[in-house]
Amino acid sequence: MIDRFLYLVSEGVRSFWRSRTTALATTTAIGIAASFVLFIAVVGENLSRVINLARDQYEFEVFFDSDLSDNQAVEVAEKIGALKGVRSVSLITKDRAAEIFEQEFGENILDLVDGNPLPTGCTVTLEEPAQGRLYVEPVIKRIQGVTGVDEIRYQGRLISMIERYYEGLLAVVTALAAAVLFGTVVLISNTIRLSIFARRDLIRILKLVGATDRFVRFPFMIEGLLEGMLGSLLAAAVSYGFVEGANYFLSLFTHYQIEWHAGPVILLATVITLFALFGSMRAVRKFL
Amino acid sequence: MISFKDVSSKFDSGAGIEHATFDVGPGEFVCIIGPTGAGKTTLLRLIHMDILPDDGKVTVDKFSSDKIKRRKISLLRRKVGMVFQEFELLNDRTVFDNVAIPLHVQGVGMKAVKEEVENCLDRLGISDKRDHLPSELSGGEQQIVSLGRALVKDPLVILADEPTGNLDPAASLRVIELLEEINRDGTAILMATHNYSLVKDRGHRFMQIVDGEVRG
Repeated sequence: MIDRFLYLVSEGVRSFWRSRTTALATTTAIGIAASFVLFIAVVGENLSRVINLARDQYEFEVFFDSDLSDNQAVEVAEKIGALKGVRSVSLITKDRAAEIFEQEFGENILDLVDGNPLPTGCTVTLEEPAQGRLYVEPVIKRIQGVTGVDEIRYQGRLISMIERYYEGLLAVVTALAAAVLFGTVVLISNTIRLSIFARRDLIRILKLVGATDRFVRFPFMIEGLLEGMLGSLLAAAVSYGFVEGANYFLSLFTHYQIEWHAGPVILLATVITLFALFGSMRAVRKFL
Repeated sequence: MISFKDVSSKFDSGAGIEHATFDVGPGEFVCIIGPTGAGKTTLLRLIHMDILPDDGKVTVDKFSSDKIKRRKISLLRRKVGMVFQEFELLNDRTVFDNVAIPLHVQGVGMKAVKEEVENCLDRLGISDKRDHLPSELSGGEQQIVSLGRALVKDPLVILADEPTGNLDPAASLRVIELLEEINRDGTAILMATHNYSLVKDRGHRFMQIVDGEVRG
């Protein structure tokens, strides 16, 4: 069994070597196209961390109706805390509001006016989505629907802008990745088709001596897998070069450096390799 | 071992065989003679189940043309060796590698492959050519390599389709002698040839095909 497997793998490598010009052209095309996707994915991953840092700063100030008692204010804050999309709530009572006023303006508000006119309220932070854009508006609407809420203040325009750009980048990476994966399937499929044509003598002889379809197909699948793997490795190396180059330019203006993490690179390289395998399977099913 | 029951197989061109009924037993040496286009190759292809009959039934060992599933045909072919007029060798592989192919297909271990191929090449007298490419050999030697590829898997029967068609008289005689030697060890041989004079006095069974009709 192992002997047969090793023989088939060696046949796959031999097949790759025999059609090396076409195979290397395919590998290079996949590698270069995928390297752009990898580079953008690495930048996106870096940006994602920046976005998450920014999201940690998203904080809404919610003001309650001025006639609420402290107990009612606690109930309203608890209701807000239970809403979908809300991560945490910090209640700010009238007394706490007065303390904040004094910290910020250096004067006790009770010395300026009769009674404490500051409203009870709370600060709200949001749950971050596992992936994709964070939509603020639905959370705002839910908070506005809670009885006792008077007003909500937040940096709406800034948050929306950050999220919109981030969402756009994700869409670009997704579209590019889809195009590269589709291209990988087509390229590998065509290369294997040529390889099948070039090795029709071997195929005929194998069938003649009793090879099963699976036995005949396996080396071509190995060949496609090799092309995908080499293309992925090339893409990883080139994308690393892109990151290093980008960091050189960034270092001229800022201390910020793009970090090259193996995680997304390995993930995308694996997906490309699997799609290459799919492309070769498609070819052998169609042409053998 | 091989049985044809009222087998017909016709091509659009009209060539083929009609209503053929015969049996070939284990260890027989059968010469199929007839002019070019008479249906000799069709008959061999039917045994190899490269084509299936339009009518009738072909049985080879336990495989029957009316019941066999496509994926089982490969199992039949492991028991049947084929030798062609055009040798059908892979020119980018050595003699050793060409002969070893059927054993790899059967999943034989590397060590056993080496042993069996070397035995086979010894038996055929071409062990000194084991590392040569087919293009470095004469036509006769190439046909012997082709014979080795058929023989190495220890088949029940070897089907030889005009094996001497491209060979000079001396090489032709050598190939016939080797086939006879293999046959003496128990392997049945079915050899299609249009060169009757080459095989006429050698004591084999003859089947004649004329315009698709099998006699004898």
